[in-house]
Amino acid sequence: MINPYYLQIASFILINIILGLSIYITLSTGQLSLGNAGFMSIGAYTSALLTVKVGLPMVAGILAGSLLAFLIGILIGIPTLRLQGVYLAIATLGFGEVVRVLFINWESLTSGAVGIAGIPHLGRTMLAGLQERGFSSEQWGLKNNEFISLTIFIILLAITVLLLAFFSRLFASRVGRAFRAIRLDEKAAEAMGIHTTYYKILTFSMGALLAGFAGALFAHVTGYISPADFTYHRAVEILVFAVFGGSEVLWGPVFGALFLTVMPEMLRGMSEYRYFIYGTILVVMMVFRPQGVLDQPLLDRLRGRRGGGGDDAA
Amino acid sequence: MFFEQLINGITLGSIYAIVALGYTLVFGVLDIINMAHGEIFMFGAFVGMLLISYFEAPVLLALGGAVLVTAAMGLLLERLALRPLRGKKGASHLASLISTIGVSIILENLAHHLFGAGNKPFPTSFADASFTVGSTTVYLVQVIILVIAVLLMVGLSLWLRKAKAGKALRATAENLETASLLGINTGRIIVSTVVVASAMGGIAGVLVGMAFNYVNNQMGLPMGLKGLAIIILGGMGSVNGAMAGGLILGLAETFVVAYGNSGYRDAIAFVAIIVILLIRPQGIFGQALPEAKR
Amino acid sequence: MLLEVQDISMVFGGLAALREVSFSLAEGEILGLIGPNGAGKTTLFNVITAFLTPTQGEVRLAGKPLTGLRTSRITERGICRTFQNIRLFDQMTVEENVMVGRHCRSRAGVWPSVLRTGAQQKEEGAIREKTRELLSLVGLTGHDRELAANLPYGLQRRLEIARALAGEPRLILLDEPVAGMNDQETAEIAALIKKILGFGITILLIEHDMSMVMKVCDRLVVLNFGEKIAEGTPQEIQSDPLVIEAYLGREEGE
Repeated sequence: MINPYYLQIASFILINIILGLSIYITLSTGQLSLGNAGFMSIGAYTSALLTVKVGLPMVAGILAGSLLAFLIGILIGIPTLRLQGVYLAIATLGFGEVVRVLFINWESLTSGAVGIAGIPHLGRTMLAGLQERGFSSEQWGLKNNEFISLTIFIILLAITVLLLAFFSRLFASRVGRAFRAIRLDEKAAEAMGIHTTYYKILTFSMGALLAGFAGALFAHVTGYISPADFTYHRAVEILVFAVFGGSEVLWGPVFGALFLTVMPEMLRGMSEYRYFIYGTILVVMMVFRPQGVLDQPLLDRLRGRRGGGGDDAA
Repeated sequence: MFFEQLINGITLGSIYAIVALGYTLVFGVLDIINMAHGEIFMFGAFVGMLLISYFEAPVLLALGGAVLVTAAMGLLLERLALRPLRGKKGASHLASLISTIGVSIILENLAHHLFGAGNKPFPTSFADASFTVGSTTVYLVQVIILVIAVLLMVGLSLWLRKAKAGKALRATAENLETASLLGINTGRIIVSTVVVASAMGGIAGVLVGMAFNYVNNQMGLPMGLKGLAIIILGGMGSVNGAMAGGLILGLAETFVVAYGNSGYRDAIAFVAIIVILLIRPQGIFGQALPEAKR
Repeated sequence: MLLEVQDISMVFGGLAALREVSFSLAEGEILGLIGPNGAGKTTLFNVITAFLTPTQGEVRLAGKPLTGLRTSRITERGICRTFQNIRLFDQMTVEENVMVGRHCRSRAGVWPSVLRTGAQQKEEGAIREKTRELLSLVGLTGHDRELAANLPYGLQRRLEIARALAGEPRLILLDEPVAGMNDQETAEIAALIKKILGFGITILLIEHDMSMVMKVCDRLVVLNFGEKIAEGTPQEIQSDPLVIEAYLGREEGE
């Protein structure tokens, strides 16, 4: 019944949902970040190095990785977000490449292009911890690898649900209204007393934090990372989750990440054309449906009620 | 040694300038950053490589072929990914950015499927030809690149200033609505801007192939990033800024590599972006501060 | 004096849109800013609200200079505005537009919003209450769930006024609130303006509809080619030869 292969795909879907949220939150003030793969790698490398080389516990590594991504996000955001949106896109594109170059070249710390292996594994660490307390997988009628996959899935699911609750409440508040006002008309928003620069830096650095967090989780789920995991292609993939699924409603990136992670698994042989399809999705969506597959009117219709507006952003 | 590095830097810088001119022309007229420009540049390099290595074509023919192909790509880009977004209600400034990112990803993978991964040699008959001036060795290929680049830049400047189409283009860049009221066919100006910019990218591709003797399908992104850094450095939409910024970046990279760590060459462009945004966000030649607001 | 505009000049690339314009508004007063198209009226609004930084001069609110403050800070100090070319958040509902206008008078940040603390819930309730009040004041009750983009033009103008009032301004800047309206609608807006004055809010009004301006304004300031050419009561302005020339001269030019 419990199939580790399906559980692993489900776990990757959940990580991709967090990544999709990371770009969605930045887009919510009308800003495009192309550096989320870079922030992801900062979270991943920080947590991996702290746990492997310093021996910190996994939770401390993940928190440190997320926090560092957040701080660097603020540093990049301050000079660029006072300017037109394109500056942020360009600066973050450059940032992503520089971080990757840094991880490739700083061999003494990162082992360069080879990457870091033997990162403490989320599921195995949990199992080991429980076994010390006398638990064994058989008590639940599971094999060890089934237990490991199931643990990862449950932890990631809990995290994702918490994050979705966090953002659905945030978007339904005064702060969320300010985000949307800025996206719709930045100057008018400023005239309403909204400090637009503050909120733009806030959403951008929250996006960086989430990407770093997802990166740290990724490191401890796969157990191995290398600079090849965090290329510009990854940044585009993250963007596609939100652009395809919907960049104006919280369920958009969730649907995008779910659909675009499951599709290649179901259609074997499609993975070769994955980036063709991603590129085509970006162009076609911008031409025919710039808000993405899911938008508020569609959600209202799915729920069978009309009107309602967007105050319930979830 | 110093003078050789200086010549290397100027050669590299003149290529960067041509790439940056492609971005700045499109930004000046359309207020759009064409994220696919780097990949169009890469296709120019591949067309040049194919013509030279399989048909043993002379350099000028390789340039001509690259111009034809990349100009056609510019035309398609405008038709399929830019024009449908123009004047569309509710399309934000992000729409064109995202759609050109889509095109860039398609092109990079198309190149991967057509030409394969990894470096492809770009052989030129004069790759090793050199002469010495005093104690400085100068390669013939550097002279050729410099001559082509300077001709192109002078030609573009003259065209923008003197030719009727160039004037119309500048008027359109100044103000699209006014230009169309003055009877300028702005739709045609926009198409020709994208086509000319793409063709310049194609030429830059062949020049890079000649300079480095190889091409690959990943070369678009780093070169695109440098072009973008240069237009931020020189001022968005500024033609002179693109040329000056190109030279500055070319020289900076050459000297950092000569006296420092070559692994970080591609990082210089990014550092330049952040520094310029902190101290002079409008760029060296930019006039009005492009602030979204206060 | 509530608002003092002192020696404001605004030069765009060698072209002066405003030349050393000075005037002031007393608390509770309504001042009309009139002049031919291109006289610099909206530019002056943009300077007061810091959309533009003046080349020269100073604006003071209740004696305190506003120089160097960003737009949102000026809104917080008590100057709210509407726009000549309506700038509603068109993909938000009517209600949400007014709620956004309330931003500078509320404070709940990220954590209170996510944790739904008591204070945040109370504040959100107060925002909704105030919004209902304002929508009823401008005559938009019953439209609260409609998208702003779907409102007819006249109601959009009213919504802009409600949104500006939500910021509890001491001074409200109205940029052509009756442009494109018929006599009936104009009279309704004039009545609304009187009500706003009744709340003790000072008004600076740009308007082309002369009969309305003459009726509602205490005083007028006339701009022409970026310069102040006259200031006084509606009666004084009507008989001012410079003003007559500015308006007649414009008609001759056309």
